[in-house]
Amino acid sequence: MDDDIADILASVSAPALPVRTLDLQALTRAWVNERTAPELLPYPTDLVDRVMERIGKQISTIEAMSGTMDPQANFTLVILQTELERFKFLVRSFLRARIAKIDTYALHYATLPSQLSPLERQYLQSHQSLISIHYSTSFLSTFPTSLQKLDDTAGGISMVDKPDEDAAVFCRVLKDTGNVEIQGISEVAEIEMKRGDVRVLRWSAVKEAVERGDVELI
Amino acid sequence: MALPLPPGLTPSEMAFLCEMELVTVIPRQRLEGLELLGGPTQPLNPPFPAPLPLWLALLLKRQRRANIRTPPWLRPDSLAAILEFETDTAKEAFSPPPNLPPPTTTSLHVDQTTAYLPATATTLELSPPFLQNSTTSAPPDALPYHWLELSQLLLAAAPDDFEDPDSVRRLLRDLREVRMAKLRKGIEVLDAGAGIKMNGVGGMEIAESRAFIGGVVDGLRYVPSMRSMELWGGGGGGSLCGTE
Repeated sequence: MDDDIADILASVSAPALPVRTLDLQALTRAWVNERTAPELLPYPTDLVDRVMERIGKQISTIEAMSGTMDPQANFTLVILQTELERFKFLVRSFLRARIAKIDTYALHYATLPSQLSPLERQYLQSHQSLISIHYSTSFLSTFPTSLQKLDDTAGGISMVDKPDEDAAVFCRVLKDTGNVEIQGISEVAEIEMKRGDVRVLRWSAVKEAVERGDVELI
Repeated sequence: MALPLPPGLTPSEMAFLCEMELVTVIPRQRLEGLELLGGPTQPLNPPFPAPLPLWLALLLKRQRRANIRTPPWLRPDSLAAILEFETDTAKEAFSPPPNLPPPTTTSLHVDQTTAYLPATATTLELSPPFLQNSTTSAPPDALPYHWLELSQLLLAAAPDDFEDPDSVRRLLRDLREVRMAKLRKGIEVLDAGAGIKMNGVGGMEIAESRAFIGGVVDGLRYVPSMRSMELWGGGGGGSLCGTE
């Protein structure tokens, strides 16, 4: 009963944040998650599209304001430009983190095109073709035909590098999600995730929760 | 290379993240409300205080257009109380962080294709640095997530806004030492499956020890396979930290 009243009061008294602020929080979270996770996360198409649209509008506002040389407007311009640079850094670092992962595990993500945006898929294809052409002209064409494949999965060991799914990540729990199974040295244990916990866990244990938005990486 | 950094935020990126925290600013000049990309800002009418993101507050402070009011937890008495709590009361764990706001309960689960919610988002949970833990309405007895970088930035840019910057610096140094000692002791209980709870740890502390702790946990994953190698007389087991 008390919890319900507290919830109702909180939702009534706290003003709803504007969508722009929520998008900034979402973009920041996406950036931190992408920088921390060992694997490529699904591409947040809507979020990036909205943010890029706003950035474009802000750039045109700034260009329009740069015409007048009024000192007061000058300072507002400085503030707007500073904030624009911050946003551009966030978006660029986010995209770079993704491209770095695509570069490292190119063959693996070629089989998972759903995680990539259309531009990333294009990049992956051209990157792959450039590399394979380079390899075959430099040395691969001199190999016997049976050894010329780059994605050989025969013989027990696959040539395709997969990202390390058990890497340690720091995470914060945002919603009570119940139990998560963790693999200790000798036994399998279950720990409960309560809102506000900060833990070091394997990526495979929290991957689904991160994609749902219940857990964020820090 | 697209991004030569290892996974995880570097300390400078953590500081960038910290600059998005809101702080209370006492303006000295009028400034109209701006429509920033991250949301509208309040118009500044001296002498009324207003919340602004830290990067903007530092910009205004450097141009002497505003003063920054130190958050309640960054005063000598609050820091002394927190330090006492850390050393005497909570010897193993860190002091608890400020309470999170109640979880958003509106459950308009719109059909979403991505994890980062569409325009109707009211179910996005807020987390640091968007939690308002450094405005004047913050609780004075809890260190927020970005305490270290926030205090360093404020001490560097606005030392005149503190009543006693030297004792604040001293207390911050002591706090940092106590917490780093706890982190180092916590390494002993690390397990390959991990799952150690470290509520209350700070962002910069994680950025500094991420490589080490992550390396330890990843290394411990190999211990069972090393143990089986030892049974066959393989000598590689001693090179890792496992001392079973």
